[in-house]
Amino acid sequence: MKLAVVVQRYGEAINGGAELHARYIAEHLARHAEVEVLTTCATDYVTWRNELAPGVERVNGVPVRRFRVKRERDPLAFGRRSSRVFTRTHSVADELKWLDAEGPASPSLVKHLQRNAPLYDFCLFFSYRYYHAYHGARAAAPRAILVPTAERDEAIGLSIFPPVFRGVRAVMYNSPEERAMIHAAAANEDVPGVVVGIGSNVPQNTQPGRFRQKFDIRGPFVVYVGRIDENKGCKELFQFFQGYLQDPWGRLSLVLIGNSLLEIPKHPRIRHLGFLDDADKFDAMAAADLLVMPSYFESRSMVALEAWALGRPVLANGKCDVLKGQCIRSNAGLYYESYAEFSETLHAIEQNRWLSASLGRNGRQFFRDHYDWPVIERKYLDMLARLSREASSRPMEPLPGWFERRRADRPPAREVAGRLPLGPALASGREAERKRA
Amino acid sequence: MPEFNIRSDSVNVEQIMEQIRARIREKRGVDYTEQQIRELAAVKLETFLDPRGVRSDLLEQFRRAQAPIELPNYAFEDTTLYETHRGPIRWIRKLLNPILKLFLNPNPLIQALHIQARLNTLHAEQLSRQRAVDQLHYEVMHNLVVELTRLGIETKNLKMRVESVASRLEFNERRARALESVVAYKPATERESVYDAPPAHSSAPPPPQPQGAPPPAHHQGGSEEGPGQRSRRRRRRRGRRGGGAPGGPVSQGQPQMRPEDRGPSTTPSTDAPSANESHSPAAETVQRAVATESHPAEHGAEPTASPAPAPTAPPAPTPPDPDHQ
Repeated sequence: MKLAVVVQRYGEAINGGAELHARYIAEHLARHAEVEVLTTCATDYVTWRNELAPGVERVNGVPVRRFRVKRERDPLAFGRRSSRVFTRTHSVADELKWLDAEGPASPSLVKHLQRNAPLYDFCLFFSYRYYHAYHGARAAAPRAILVPTAERDEAIGLSIFPPVFRGVRAVMYNSPEERAMIHAAAANEDVPGVVVGIGSNVPQNTQPGRFRQKFDIRGPFVVYVGRIDENKGCKELFQFFQGYLQDPWGRLSLVLIGNSLLEIPKHPRIRHLGFLDDADKFDAMAAADLLVMPSYFESRSMVALEAWALGRPVLANGKCDVLKGQCIRSNAGLYYESYAEFSETLHAIEQNRWLSASLGRNGRQFFRDHYDWPVIERKYLDMLARLSREASSRPMEPLPGWFERRRADRPPAREVAGRLPLGPALASGREAERKRA
Repeated sequence: MPEFNIRSDSVNVEQIMEQIRARIREKRGVDYTEQQIRELAAVKLETFLDPRGVRSDLLEQFRRAQAPIELPNYAFEDTTLYETHRGPIRWIRKLLNPILKLFLNPNPLIQALHIQARLNTLHAEQLSRQRAVDQLHYEVMHNLVVELTRLGIETKNLKMRVESVASRLEFNERRARALESVVAYKPATERESVYDAPPAHSSAPPPPQPQGAPPPAHHQGGSEEGPGQRSRRRRRRRGRRGGGAPGGPVSQGQPQMRPEDRGPSTTPSTDAPSANESHSPAAETVQRAVATESHPAEHGAEPTASPAPAPTAPPAPTPPDPDHQ
């Protein structure tokens, strides 16, 4: 079986969520099939500047074919087009221009897919919202499997994407919440789909003591791993944690790991360690009492899964449907939606050792059941086997005609996205649990 | 400290979150966000304010009434009547002006309209000033309503807290009373045995006394009496009236108390004659005991603080008691 993994950027040094996801999947599927990665020469997701040489190279034993990006992203033009399609009534042509402005516009990659699609059994497209996935999935529709990595943002409300969600052979979702959102947006329930997510290479023998000694950290602490950014909910986290510090009962410190784009409050119990390598990161998680995930928007959280793999409970932002849903489904984390809840949940985990240990145990089990690599690989292989057996049932819907495309009758994407159902998708999780039981 | 009532072995996060939220509600009463307070202030005014005095949609009406109205106005000068954008026509009108004045005098008309235009301008200015003041009034009123709503909610919460504190206080009082009675009545049998036992000055030799300690008081010593003094006292009197136990603590040369002597006011007079002869420790102790019983609080004889089992104990070396000093 020959598979193509199509992704906007690819490389060992590229740590973006979807890109890392694609690399892990490519490397793990390469053990079962012949895998080729099709990607661009870009490494920077803001400009899509061509920084790597076009052609074929090998990354961790996987062949990677790179194509040039036709033009860099113009942030101003992209901002204007985004504003138009997100906030005003617009046409399909406007949306296509927005997609072109977003990039990475690589017609050569799409042409390659059009010409060579028959060489591949299946093509896995990562990140539905980018140029390569939209045009690539259309070019190789009978072989296209989409890994949308969709978040609850305005782009999901654009009218050009539902035909793609309906026209691909299968959709590999990251979470039940993502599946529910895409089903609501595209009505693609009949397209084969499975919630897969992504595994993580968590070391078995972490050394929490070494971490404490190396960074001189004493006492119990809560760890945050990721970019320290307002968009990730860190500002709110700082506010809440400073409130918690006023409480004489609380003994936890906050340890932050990751690059900071935000001013970090100065307090002896708030430590910023900067970017750490994987060994230190995993040791830190193992040494921590719990992991905090303050982000509002996540299609999945790898660090939360890693914390669970290490048997640590997670405290998540309850405003993020995916994280809240994961906490409830796994019974391995608590969530907060206000300061009072933040403080109480933190105290609960801190003071109640039994609760903390039980959450951690559940997390470890949840990770083993759903996110261990053999499980993920099996889900992919089962889906590929199923698609090999079944014929493609529904062709990709063609783009509207020239006049139709220019008719300004599409509602603002923000409005459409705002109408999508909110909240964690618990029913499906419970059903799955029942089935498992 | 968080306490969770998780009875099953498996953790249910939703259940824990429910408990956490219930705890938060219990701790802080009903929580409202800023947005909710504003909504309450805007929509449910009648709940918080007297509906007869304030209209529930007052703010909305006020806002509607404040919608700016553009007043029509014009400028009227002496040349206005003859103005035109066509130059030749203006010239002809000026030329024919004397002829017009033969038929009518336009000057009063021009003057009146000019004054009216100025009045209109002044009125518009006044209105705009008034609008600005009204805007301030509106803001003040809006803030007042929001604050009033907030205060109403806070008062509600405080009321709940006061009720909670009052119930706790009541409970504590009841508990204290229950404890008092337990302390007073529990060792009754033991007390019986003491009072029915041979007196302190019986043939049993007194235990050794620590050096520097005051002479041993009788075990009925006034301030050592616990909360059950009243019953003891009654028993003592009964003993005295009925002859009491031979050699009982109060039978030693003490006049027997009559029933009317039970009141505190009678105590000094009754016991006064014996005071002179009460240089014996027993008499002194009785005096103190009676005085203590009459005004237990003055002697610091708090029920829970006093060593209740003391009377039941055999005459033991008594440590120096400040109340005895």
